[in-house]
Amino acid sequence: MAMKITVDRELCQGHSVCLGECPEVFDVVESDEGYSQVVVLQENPPEELREKVMLAANYCPNHVITVSEE
Amino acid sequence: MPEAAVSELKLPPKVSGEKPGVGHMEEFDVNFAEFLMRCNAECGELAEYNMAGQQTVLMSGPRAQEAFLKTLDKKLSRAAAYQATVPVFGKGVIFDAPPDRMKTQLKIQVDALRYQNMKNYANIIAQEVQDWVAEWGDEGELDFLDEFIRLTLHTACHCLLGSDFRHKMTEEFKALYHDLEKGLQAIAFVDPYLQQPLFAARDKARARLQELISAIIAERRANSDVAYGDALETFMSGTYKDGSRLTDNEITGLVIATMFAGHHTSSGTAAWTAIELARNPDYAANVLEELNTLFADGQALTFEALREIPRLESFIEEVLRLHPPLVLLMRRVIEDIDYNGTLIEAGKTVAISTYGSHRNPEYFPDPERFDPDRPRANTPELMWAYIPFGGGPHKCAGNAFALMQLKSIFAALLTRYEFELVDPPHTYRDDFSAMVLKPSSPCRLRYKKRA
Repeated sequence: MAMKITVDRELCQGHSVCLGECPEVFDVVESDEGYSQVVVLQENPPEELREKVMLAANYCPNHVITVSEE
Repeated sequence: MPEAAVSELKLPPKVSGEKPGVGHMEEFDVNFAEFLMRCNAECGELAEYNMAGQQTVLMSGPRAQEAFLKTLDKKLSRAAAYQATVPVFGKGVIFDAPPDRMKTQLKIQVDALRYQNMKNYANIIAQEVQDWVAEWGDEGELDFLDEFIRLTLHTACHCLLGSDFRHKMTEEFKALYHDLEKGLQAIAFVDPYLQQPLFAARDKARARLQELISAIIAERRANSDVAYGDALETFMSGTYKDGSRLTDNEITGLVIATMFAGHHTSSGTAAWTAIELARNPDYAANVLEELNTLFADGQALTFEALREIPRLESFIEEVLRLHPPLVLLMRRVIEDIDYNGTLIEAGKTVAISTYGSHRNPEYFPDPERFDPDRPRANTPELMWAYIPFGGGPHKCAGNAFALMQLKSIFAALLTRYEFELVDPPHTYRDDFSAMVLKPSSPCRLRYKKRA
């Protein structure tokens, strides 16, 4: 079982909580127009980052991040 | 949505009780939340009413609300529905800016709410709350609506414009802001450019505020090595795609727009939270127990410490269900819409009622009962039924700030004081007389220092 991260960019407003919690996995970049947006740097991050990934997912104000197992 | 010839489409059912000339305006003005619930009860998912000639279609239920909230500006325009804000925010600001500039301005507004700034805001709020309760003594009685209007004006002013401005200019800022607020009454939604003393005062206040803010901007540009951690700093450093910066007019506009989005929505919700805590002592005891456990060692109310306080969060969520500060959200229809076989024509307004949605017994059984433990947020079936901050791509970007501030206030207050109602419980009611919902006046509570 490995973590798989997906994000719903339509709902992302670039609050950058994920970047603060887990910069190994998330970045926030300027987009062509509108809000800055999350970018997932590692879709299947290693297990030792699980705790930080979960903080990022739980504290995202717009609940953009989904963590599933595959 | 499927293509269909216009002739095959139905029109939305019309709400009864329309009067010549004014349509439903009079009934709407008496109590618009009740009126909107009547529209839904009479006509169902779509209900068309008439606001002095502006045909408006109320969309009710999770399916219709999802369609409303997910549809982008080019089809359902916020700008066209909120033109009354233009003289208040300023020419060329947000709803008066071309679409691409508006998007950048809104992006820069959210940038001011980013993680790094939020940590600073949490410290500012904790300090403001501490200074406020320092005046309280061991027991007393206060009007908590007035108090929270004052407190949240101080926190907003401090987070937006910095500590220097907060400590030197708050009184003048308050007076100017008051004149701007009066310029956004219902009449402004009919025509914000009428010759009226009200609007003259609004324009004078807008100009003076820009003078004040321009002076700080000039001072800061001359001392560019200082870091402030406030919203003004973010607004000053934001750029458009061509690399140009926001003008002083646009920065002033963003400051005003942020105040309007965040101030009364927060003070009204804080006042209702205080009332519901006093009115529901068992739940309040539950929340206090949690706070005493989490903050047993007297740790500071920092951003990190406030992130997760589940019982307090559920309590505030239930306050927002029963008393959503923005009752009515509106958009102007730019292109004809086929909503499941019904035609909503360009030029009409569409609206959703958070207040009505949150009282729909199908989704919130026994809706008037205050119950922090009932399903609400984080329940997929209720995602488009529980909408205190709207939802979708235009969801309120201040939601995390608002919740953080409310948690900070009540973590500080509840651990120090107990609260009780001064007046009979049923006399604390929703007041719909302004654009933003608040508790009725007086809003008196007694407080007593905990042993």
